[in-house]
Amino acid sequence: MNRDDKTLDAQIEAMMQELSIEKAPASLSARLHRIPEEESRKERKTGQRRPWFGNGSFLRWAPALAAVPVLIAVVLLTQPRQPSPAEVELARQQVALAFAYLDKVGHRTGDEIQSVLGAELRHSVKSPLSEHMPFTKQSLKEEST
Amino acid sequence: MSGTFHQWVDEFQDQAWTLARYLLKDPSEAEDACQEAFVKLWHKQDSIDPDKIRPWLMKVTRNGCLDRLRRRRPTEELQEWHQPDVSSGPMQGLDQEEQGAWLKATINGLKEPYRSLVVLRDVQEYSYEEVGAALELSLSQVKTYLHRARKQLREQLAEVRP
Repeated sequence: MNRDDKTLDAQIEAMMQELSIEKAPASLSARLHRIPEEESRKERKTGQRRPWFGNGSFLRWAPALAAVPVLIAVVLLTQPRQPSPAEVELARQQVALAFAYLDKVGHRTGDEIQSVLGAELRHSVKSPLSEHMPFTKQSLKEEST
Repeated sequence: MSGTFHQWVDEFQDQAWTLARYLLKDPSEAEDACQEAFVKLWHKQDSIDPDKIRPWLMKVTRNGCLDRLRRRRPTEELQEWHQPDVSSGPMQGLDQEEQGAWLKATINGLKEPYRSLVVLRDVQEYSYEEVGAALELSLSQVKTYLHRARKQLREQLAEVRP
């Protein structure tokens, strides 16, 4: 900065003193002081018109509301179904038949073992499985009658 | 809460008004820009550091004014910036008040951010830090741009000085 610039700067500095902060007009001041009242009124109006959306309460509850029908569906689908009496009877017959088949296979296996290893081992293999299942015994009796 | 807000209005309304008047020639538009800035202050008052209210408010006021300038047609803006004013002609014979008016018109003719820089720093006497916060500039940018702004003012003054 040369000497001339310094002189100009000093002159500008002096002129700057003439520039002061301007006073805001009364109309603006009044407008600014009304802001709290006006904005609060606007907020209240918005809140009354949209009670669900106004304060975000709807958005807070929406996921919970949406989850209710899903929860009901899951509970209904996962509950165990009670079989009918006919289905129970059919199942018992099928189990009895399976054990009868296993008994037959056991006897044959016992015979083969006896021929190779002796009578003692044969007995343990040959003893019918149905002896340990009382309800299958009963089913077999019912079938035979 | 509104008590504090009223205090802020009393404390800062003149500064916001002065800045808006330098940026926007139309007084009613300057009033609107100030009001918008204070409405934003009302809504954001809980999230602003109380020590930084002044630079925050000046930043919002200035941004509002610049938005208004941008929305105008370029020709209007050009006319506003280059309006014939007291800056034309030699300064000899002008009294202090007229010289002040000349300087004001010359500052109005500066481009952004020089204009806001000069208004905040030289007219409103903000600290460099506050000017930086208000204009979103670093400290070194504030100093550099201010130097350029003053250089432009010197050049303008040199042209009209007898």
